[in-house]
Amino acid sequence: MAQEMIEGINPTRMELLKLKQREKLAVKGHSLLKEKRNALIMEFFNILERVKGSRDEVAVKLAEAYQDLTAAQVTMGDLAVRKAAMSVTESVDVDIDSRSVMGVVVPVVDSKLKERTIVERGYGFMDTSVKLDEAAKKFEESIQLIIELGEIEKTIMLLAGEIESTKRRVNALEHIIIPRLENTVKYIEMRLEEMERENFVRLKMIKKTMETEAV
Amino acid sequence: MSSKIAVMADPDTVTGFMLGGINDGFPVSNMEEAGDKLKELAKEYSIIITTEKIGDNFRETIDKISSESALPMIIEIPDKKGSIDRESDPIRELIKRVIGVEMVE
Repeated sequence: MAQEMIEGINPTRMELLKLKQREKLAVKGHSLLKEKRNALIMEFFNILERVKGSRDEVAVKLAEAYQDLTAAQVTMGDLAVRKAAMSVTESVDVDIDSRSVMGVVVPVVDSKLKERTIVERGYGFMDTSVKLDEAAKKFEESIQLIIELGEIEKTIMLLAGEIESTKRRVNALEHIIIPRLENTVKYIEMRLEEMERENFVRLKMIKKTMETEAV
Repeated sequence: MSSKIAVMADPDTVTGFMLGGINDGFPVSNMEEAGDKLKELAKEYSIIITTEKIGDNFRETIDKISSESALPMIIEIPDKKGSIDRESDPIRELIKRVIGVEMVE
């Protein structure tokens, strides 16, 4: 493996000190980022537990709801169903808060579904069928599930993005920046030692010539 | 803070959700309309429910919106023809990329 180094560094004591400082910082940053990555992945696994099956649950619930809706459309007519839908009052009350997981802001949804009786939904009974009531009920239930699913999926997406970038930074530090700093430090140390030896030899030689001259 | 929910989908799906109690329904009949509407709704609503079909058509736009910030969240649901068979579920794909192995069955 080629020994990669930082280019254009003078082998001086000053630079050596600076580099050692940088190396220390990089190592510290690396361990911190690694911890962050581990914490994020742990959080990610916790959320994965929740996502299991919740998408299928939504699909099943919705399929039932659509079936009832179609039945209502058949018995009442498309327009009448639409008209009834227009007059339905709001049923979900959603509070969105946010929570921070290692610096990633993820939404926390608090949805309150008002349990409603048929009367409270807001459409008339004269021209509506039972199927419509059932469809409305199932859609209400699905909405609750869908919002929950949305929260989980959104959290997964945000966490995944953060995990990826953290991973990349950890790897960059571990495999490129830190080795490069280490190599440069080694290079400078070797150069300095070499210079010292050269100096030593030079002194010896000077001493020798001075001694011969004195004799 | 109370947040607003919108449904943007084909007319039948919108009717269904309005019946379920979401007042802001936006029926769209073609994809061009859906794209414009999506961008418009993303500014105003915090939860947008749309169908998988629309989601697949505007994957890039949605990814951009959802990766940038916590809100709005865009949720894709199957429409009345049922969930479409995808070669890969975007979420599962994401998990695979992050963890490195297949996790969710």
